[in-house]
Amino acid sequence: MLAYLVRRIVFGAAVLVGTSVITFAIAFVVPADPAVAMAGAKADPQTLASIRSEMGLDQPLYVQYARYFDRAIHGDLGRSYIRRESVTRLIADRFPATAVLAGAAMGLSVMLGIAMGAIAAAYRGRAADNILLVISLALVSIPVFWLGTMLLIAVAATIRSFPLGGYSGATSLVLPTLTLALGSAGYYSRVLHTSLCDAFDQDYVRTARGKGLSRVRVMLKHAMANALLPLVTLAGLDLAGLLSGVVLTETVFNWPGIGRLAAEAIFNLDIPVIMGTVLFSALLIVVVNLLVDLLYAWLDPRIRLAETG
Amino acid sequence: MMRRRLKPAPIALLLHALTIALAVGCGGGPPPLNLPPHAMVIRLADADDVPTLDPAAGYDTVSWTFEQAIFDTLVRYGDGNIELEPDIATAWESSPDATTFTFHLRGDARFSDGRSVTSEDFRYGIERVLKPATRSKGMEYYRGIAGSADFAAHRNPHVSGIETPDNSTIVFHLSAPDPIFAHKLAMPFASAIPRDVAEKWGDDFSRHVVGSGAFMLRDWIGGQRLVLVKNPYYFAKPLPHLDAIVESVGVNQELQWLRFDAGQIDAVVDIPPAEFPYVMKTPRLRELILAKTTVTTRYLGMNCQMWPFTDVRVRRALSYAIDRHKLIAILNGRGVVARGVMPPNLPGYDPDLKGYDYDPAKARALLEQAHLARGFEFEIWMRADQTILMLAQSIQQDLAPLGIRARLKPVAWGPFLEAIRQPHTVQSFMQGWEADFPDPENFLGALLSRAQWGSNNDSFYSNPEVEQLLGEAEPVADMKKRYALYDQAEKIVVADAPWVFLYYPVTYIIRQPWVHDYVINPMRPTRFEHVWLSPHPE
Repeated sequence: MLAYLVRRIVFGAAVLVGTSVITFAIAFVVPADPAVAMAGAKADPQTLASIRSEMGLDQPLYVQYARYFDRAIHGDLGRSYIRRESVTRLIADRFPATAVLAGAAMGLSVMLGIAMGAIAAAYRGRAADNILLVISLALVSIPVFWLGTMLLIAVAATIRSFPLGGYSGATSLVLPTLTLALGSAGYYSRVLHTSLCDAFDQDYVRTARGKGLSRVRVMLKHAMANALLPLVTLAGLDLAGLLSGVVLTETVFNWPGIGRLAAEAIFNLDIPVIMGTVLFSALLIVVVNLLVDLLYAWLDPRIRLAETG
Repeated sequence: MMRRRLKPAPIALLLHALTIALAVGCGGGPPPLNLPPHAMVIRLADADDVPTLDPAAGYDTVSWTFEQAIFDTLVRYGDGNIELEPDIATAWESSPDATTFTFHLRGDARFSDGRSVTSEDFRYGIERVLKPATRSKGMEYYRGIAGSADFAAHRNPHVSGIETPDNSTIVFHLSAPDPIFAHKLAMPFASAIPRDVAEKWGDDFSRHVVGSGAFMLRDWIGGQRLVLVKNPYYFAKPLPHLDAIVESVGVNQELQWLRFDAGQIDAVVDIPPAEFPYVMKTPRLRELILAKTTVTTRYLGMNCQMWPFTDVRVRRALSYAIDRHKLIAILNGRGVVARGVMPPNLPGYDPDLKGYDYDPAKARALLEQAHLARGFEFEIWMRADQTILMLAQSIQQDLAPLGIRARLKPVAWGPFLEAIRQPHTVQSFMQGWEADFPDPENFLGALLSRAQWGSNNDSFYSNPEVEQLLGEAEPVADMKKRYALYDQAEKIVVADAPWVFLYYPVTYIIRQPWVHDYVINPMRPTRFEHVWLSPHPE
């Protein structure tokens, strides 16, 4: 298990180095002169030349990368061209808001998804199953920017107890959480429904039924245990995505998270912030994936045994 | 065995996520404002985060809105006009040849930490801008001060052309005549900066700014809000009337409108285009509107070094082929048809300039003369923006009957700027220019001189006659003579048609009925010293 862990960490580190090389290379491929980004649309050639020299942009590419890499592993992701602030600080300022939203959305989507999936599977082939199928497909299909805007207009603008966007405590969390969670919940419910239906046909479930256990007990204690495994993988990947920032939802709800920071940086071609948010997202995905793999190995002894074997 | 291991894990995962979310979520959000109960607070919102509060770094409307509230310059513009008036300087004079400018400072100005403002603080502010390490966007405006090059090259610890004979006098010696130099000192770049604070915080000065303006920074939470409160040491007592300005940031246009409608913000600068006709048709809302033509020109630039725009007849043909009134209709009337380079509020504007009327027959005749009677295909680059795209589509439709097929290319702002500066890359582009100071040089010299190729002259236009007139006009301090020279240059430029002059934008702002003395400036963001609020529902 330790060897497995070490192997995954080394692999994760390689992914991060690769990401840093790619993002750095992209910064030089895109037609964006950092001096223009910093000096603005009206800067004269002399100002641009002075800024280029100050920023070390006249150094060879590998020297610039080495300098960037060295700073990055010490936690310094450079300074924003537009705001002149430390990128590490900008990300650290924005991450808590994203984490709160991601955590709440993940919690709600998993709860709803499990509930809907379990009910649909329990009533397999009956009206409730079909109704839940339609609902979950509708939830998956609704674009978040539309749902978010509708919730703002229909709920926040009429029921004044919900704020019109912004990040101001628990009430401000409700509408963006719903916006993010409903789509995932629909997806999770379909996945769980399929897994549960498969499980119902397995011998161990038939045995449990044969022992005279109630339908609810069979589902929750026997079928659900295995059926939830694919959901762990899905939820893990989704969580990494959510933690990296959800651009549309954060923009619609004026939520001050990583997603909005990245979107603003892309719009302004603020390369250090783009590189910083991409690297940070890669780090989150690597870490969450590692955790999911470990969780999976812990949950399913077959995987653990295969690794140690 | 497996069952026991599996059962608690997903539930634990779920509970864990919920616990984190609720625990952090319930206590999350920014700290309360903690302003006195009856404080007079104006609530504003903007889609963009405030890029910076450092006067050396900011060069955009949002940054300047707050920089001019926090900092003072020697001179400034009136609230609603572009006339220079005293700020910290009570009086100023220039030598007849416009190479020496002397400013006399008031003695009662103080920074928000209580220290007196002296001439040294202005010298430091400008030297900070000129220092290459600051990477200031404003350095070009002060390079004309004698000794600035030696200072930038570290050959001199100070700019020799700035003298501070005493705490209340500052003298600028320029290396060449510059009759509009005083206007450059009205830009926030030239604010009084306390050296001790700026040097203590270095690159983080923006987060810890101390100025002598009417307001001071109270808190700034990135991506959420910026709060300014009254500077108790502000010299122009009893101003400001407001106790605080609270800016919510990252609030998109639609959300701003919903909040305005709910009475949660006090003024909106960007009324969503979809709401604008409704606002203008509703008497209750219409009377809350303020409007002013800005010192800005929007145009379709044509690259004079690229086919087919190397031919002046083709450029003129496009100028006749585009219906500008249709563009104004698309903007819901928020613009004035452009006739030339200079907008109406700019001193030196020529009201008799004819420009180009919409005349497709003339356009067709010109294309025939240019041997392009069957039309041609070209690309229009633009910033990816819904309104700009709609305007470009209208242009595309106007050109189609002439056989001209315009391909629209919307791109992000950064790559757009980068591309149009390349000499042989972009055939044509939708662009605009807002004045930095009210002088024709800031349009004709900055945008159409040969020296600005690869910088702001993105149509790569050059005409020796225009060059000569621009060179002749630049040092002239007699404004009548100066404007006459620029008018001559503009007439030639209009005849050469490097741009299709589209429109001069009109700014519309809506404010709540309890907001008073809120004034639009045609060239700068609104100032808040005189703004006050009558009692209103929270």
